[in-house]
Amino acid sequence: MTDAAVPSNVGRRLLRRSAAARKARYSTIKIWLGAICAGIVIIPVALARVLPLPDPVHGVLKETSLPPFSPGHLLGTDPNGRDLLSRILHGGQTSLLIGLLAIALSGVLGIAAGAAAGYFGGWVDTIVSRLLEAQLSLPLLLMLLLVVALFGPSVPVITLVIAIAQWPEPARLTRALVLVEREKPYVAAAQVLGLGRIKIIVRHIIPNILSQSLVVVFLLLAQAVLLESALSFLGAGVQRPYPTWGGIISDGRELFVTGAWWLVTIPGIAIALLVLGVNLLGDGLRDRVRRAKAVTG
Amino acid sequence: MPRYFLRRLGQTVLTAWFTVTIVFLLLRLAPGDPAANYAPPNPTSEQLAAVRQEFGLDQPILSQYLTYLGNLLQGDIGTSFQFRQPALQVVMDRLPYTITLAVAAIAVTAAVAIPLGVWMARRGNTAPELGANIATIAGQSMPDFWIGFVLLIVFAVNLQWLPSSGFNSMTAIVLPCLTIVVLQVALISRLVRREMGVNLAAPYLTIARSRGVSERRLTWGYAFANSSIPVVTALGTRFAAMLNGVVIVEVVFKWPGVGELVVDALSRRDFPLIQATVLVTVVLALLVQLLVDLLYPLIDPRVRLGQEARR
Repeated sequence: MTDAAVPSNVGRRLLRRSAAARKARYSTIKIWLGAICAGIVIIPVALARVLPLPDPVHGVLKETSLPPFSPGHLLGTDPNGRDLLSRILHGGQTSLLIGLLAIALSGVLGIAAGAAAGYFGGWVDTIVSRLLEAQLSLPLLLMLLLVVALFGPSVPVITLVIAIAQWPEPARLTRALVLVEREKPYVAAAQVLGLGRIKIIVRHIIPNILSQSLVVVFLLLAQAVLLESALSFLGAGVQRPYPTWGGIISDGRELFVTGAWWLVTIPGIAIALLVLGVNLLGDGLRDRVRRAKAVTG
Repeated sequence: MPRYFLRRLGQTVLTAWFTVTIVFLLLRLAPGDPAANYAPPNPTSEQLAAVRQEFGLDQPILSQYLTYLGNLLQGDIGTSFQFRQPALQVVMDRLPYTITLAVAAIAVTAAVAIPLGVWMARRGNTAPELGANIATIAGQSMPDFWIGFVLLIVFAVNLQWLPSSGFNSMTAIVLPCLTIVVLQVALISRLVRREMGVNLAAPYLTIARSRGVSERRLTWGYAFANSSIPVVTALGTRFAAMLNGVVIVEVVFKWPGVGELVVDALSRRDFPLIQATVLVTVVLALLVQLLVDLLYPLIDPRVRLGQEARR
């Protein structure tokens, strides 16, 4: 844009300092910062099997409790002589796998239930809304703990439990969005053209709301990773000796009094960086999606 | 009002029943036998059967459930397997600790999060606000058990300013409370900012400003007053959730509350104690939410007038 195209007194500098422009810039900052934080964790975790790392399960007994930056062990070792970096990266694979599977499941479940409740209304809406309310009043972590403690801490059980814990959020948002979308002329047009109700929902309504719903589902990844680590911490995670983030911290907690602070602090930083990255990225994307929606109508 | 109150009370009872039933079924359907934890070491099958009979676990699930509900109606919520005393007693011994922690945490949260959220809303889209925004996102990104450990390492182990665990002196509450507050402040302040943002941009505010109302009054007397219902609701919900056990924080700091109790009971499969803990905390949490609902007419005259108009 050239200066000539801008109305007289409002120069380019003023425009750049306007609230709208600043808001756009800040969402870009959040997206980049988030991508960097998440990338720092996700990329090494994804490459854990390729990188030249020591075995995460079997340690070297003469290299126990080494502090970070010891030769050969960048982040040090635990009392069993296992390399902490290797354990964090391999543990991250389990934690991330559970998180991704859980949000995929809760996303599909939530969007489908929310769309059905919003479009059909009536008794479908009543059932879905009552279920959402009932779940809100349950003590969540306690129930998750109960199920995992009783049915065994395997990857499918933990994934399922987290997915069930998380479906309300995308469901509620999708329902609200569909309620608005349902009244728009294009839906009436599709009805006049004789399209089936399922087809209208899947082909016409969902594509219009998907970007907003998906951002919320993506933000759930942060919650899922935190929940999984909390469960592992309470002993209801994937079983030892296989590392998970919460499990590593839980193992380290008896030891930090003896001065082995790195066993607790460093895995926590990995979780916090990843979750912060996902949250920032999701928050920035949400601002952007909302604005795009506002511009195109 | 009484009709509304009765309906809410009915919903509360229904939710409590629903929760208790789910917990009861989950416990009975899960694999594993609690009797093994309470029989002598290397038990014979007769000894196991005797324990099962003593706890009533040899009955069919349906009759166990009916017995349980029948006893509930008479105010008997079961006898703990491990403590061999009424489960209600065991829970009530622990409850004051959880309530103390929850009250302290919610008070500090409200005192910090509300001014922070209002400030963020008034400074919307400026560089300091972006900083605070990212800080609150960071606050909700850290695992709470990890925050607890880091605080322990810094203040209890290295500086030795504060006790690390248990509840022996008043200073023991500082670290657990701080751990909870970090996350809660992040959540509540963002909610306050969102609600305030809507009201600060509303036309009535512009009109009030043009009439010369002071900025302070515009912020607190106009915009915040109109944002207070969602904020109070959120604080109430958070407080209620804390009563359900600040499980993780209690485990980290060995705080003798109900959260720690239930984790312990789970590992020993102490069915009556688990059921009792869930029942008591859920009923308490529901009562808190009911109270918050009843506060609405006091906070917001629109609700009050709406109710009078309906009469």
